[in-house]
Amino acid sequence: MTAPGPAPRQTPLGGLALLGWLGAAAAAFVLLFFLITAVLRQMPDPIGPRADLFVEGARMTLQLTLVSGVIGLLIGIVAGIMKTSGMWLVRAPASFLIWLIRGTPLLVQILFVYNALPPILESVGLNVELNEFWSAVVALSLNVGAYNAEVIRAGILAIPRGQGEAARSLGLSGGQTMQTVVLPQALRIVVPPLVNNLVALLKDSSLASSIALLELTLAGSRVSSETFQPIPVLTTVACVYLALTTVMTLFTDQLERRVKIATR
Amino acid sequence: MIKRALLSLTALSLLAVPAQARTWAEIKQSGTVRIATEGAFPPFNLLKGKQLTGFEVDLANQLAKQLGLKVQWVTQPFDNLLIGLNQDRYDFVIASHGINPERAKAVDFSNPHYCTGGAIVAKPGGPLTAAALKGKRVAVQVGTTYLENVRKVPGVGDVKTFPKDTDAQAALMAGRVDAWVGDKFTGIDLVKAQQGKVKQGDLLFNERIAMAVKKGNSSLLKELNAALAKAQQNGSYAKLSQQYFGQDVRCK
Repeated sequence: MTAPGPAPRQTPLGGLALLGWLGAAAAAFVLLFFLITAVLRQMPDPIGPRADLFVEGARMTLQLTLVSGVIGLLIGIVAGIMKTSGMWLVRAPASFLIWLIRGTPLLVQILFVYNALPPILESVGLNVELNEFWSAVVALSLNVGAYNAEVIRAGILAIPRGQGEAARSLGLSGGQTMQTVVLPQALRIVVPPLVNNLVALLKDSSLASSIALLELTLAGSRVSSETFQPIPVLTTVACVYLALTTVMTLFTDQLERRVKIATR
Repeated sequence: MIKRALLSLTALSLLAVPAQARTWAEIKQSGTVRIATEGAFPPFNLLKGKQLTGFEVDLANQLAKQLGLKVQWVTQPFDNLLIGLNQDRYDFVIASHGINPERAKAVDFSNPHYCTGGAIVAKPGGPLTAAALKGKRVAVQVGTTYLENVRKVPGVGDVKTFPKDTDAQAALMAGRVDAWVGDKFTGIDLVKAQQGKVKQGDLLFNERIAMAVKKGNSSLLKELNAALAKAQQNGSYAKLSQQYFGQDVRCK
């Protein structure tokens, strides 16, 4: 026997409810950080006195994930739609991006953006200096964006062709069909794999430690190399990551439930 | 039944008894000593392609030769070296570890094999004294004594930690930080290599550099100290030091 879950909604989630969901998620994370700080401060020697360093690192990890996650989502939507286009010229850049990003390791991408991109840009006359945070954001959002694009493409392709054909025969333009018929349906399909990518992104952000961005992993490696006690330090780091992903999935599960609309 | 019980007991005891560091007698018997270093800290230990070279590498090879041992080198990231030593992945570490109280709690140090200091390196016009570091961005390697000593400078700005010294130097050259603090001899090397693009400033602190063995491995420590003393007496240390630095770097 399965418990009767909440009845699927008849209408999609309104803007106000979405805002409330965002607010609740933000509040939960603030609470989580208070909790982490309180718990870590109680710990014995290698952890307790350095609790603030871990919390600072965790905050940076979350910040990195949220900023790259949002940018990566935009990249994914644009590249994903481009990839379903019938025109070769529209498809090519998206395919190129996905081929390039998915075929190279994230660590190399991060090191490339940090160490190789500035001199390359300088040689073409662009004098931008990306600091550690934005270097990591560029690499991470491109990376997650490429994976998101494939997810979104799959979501769009999952909508039966007949839907688009019917919309077109009713006189809707290509853009309108995409906006009002295909995307709203595809959205429900792509939420779970997108959440998957977001959780992976949170963990992948640990690679930013290689460019001296003081996030959770680097905070841990600083403490571990200072105290020579890898066991408590790595355990703590792993637990904090687990706490972050747990709270995150708690809310994305909610989101998943809420975007679900009753189908026939 | 008994066999199974015995098996699980053995397995348990393997888990319970911490692995023992190899004593001098065991190393002598095996004929090979396992030494760990970083391999990214010129001119002390450096990987040139596959070839491990540098002052400390040559010195350790010499000490091993005096002790009648073959050498098996292991290279590890710097912040892993002492942790791996305590897990018996190698017999001793020679990787420019400055002696400080935290490290002395974790491992046993030999007599110092050279003396040096942490010096500031910056681009011309950059901060070259401790006072000038106020509010400036400084790059150091993670897990080093430079990190803690730079932190002690009053008013110092952002201190960034890189996995390798060479990464920290690259950050200085790219203008991502205002100064790099590292070993004074490494600094001299960098200034030479960059031909006037950077300058070396004040010494922030002095330190004594020593080899490390696992805590309590006194038999190995005794042999290492004896071999080092012999090398410093018979002139082979002086020759090596002259070759790398043009001066004798032993502690006075």
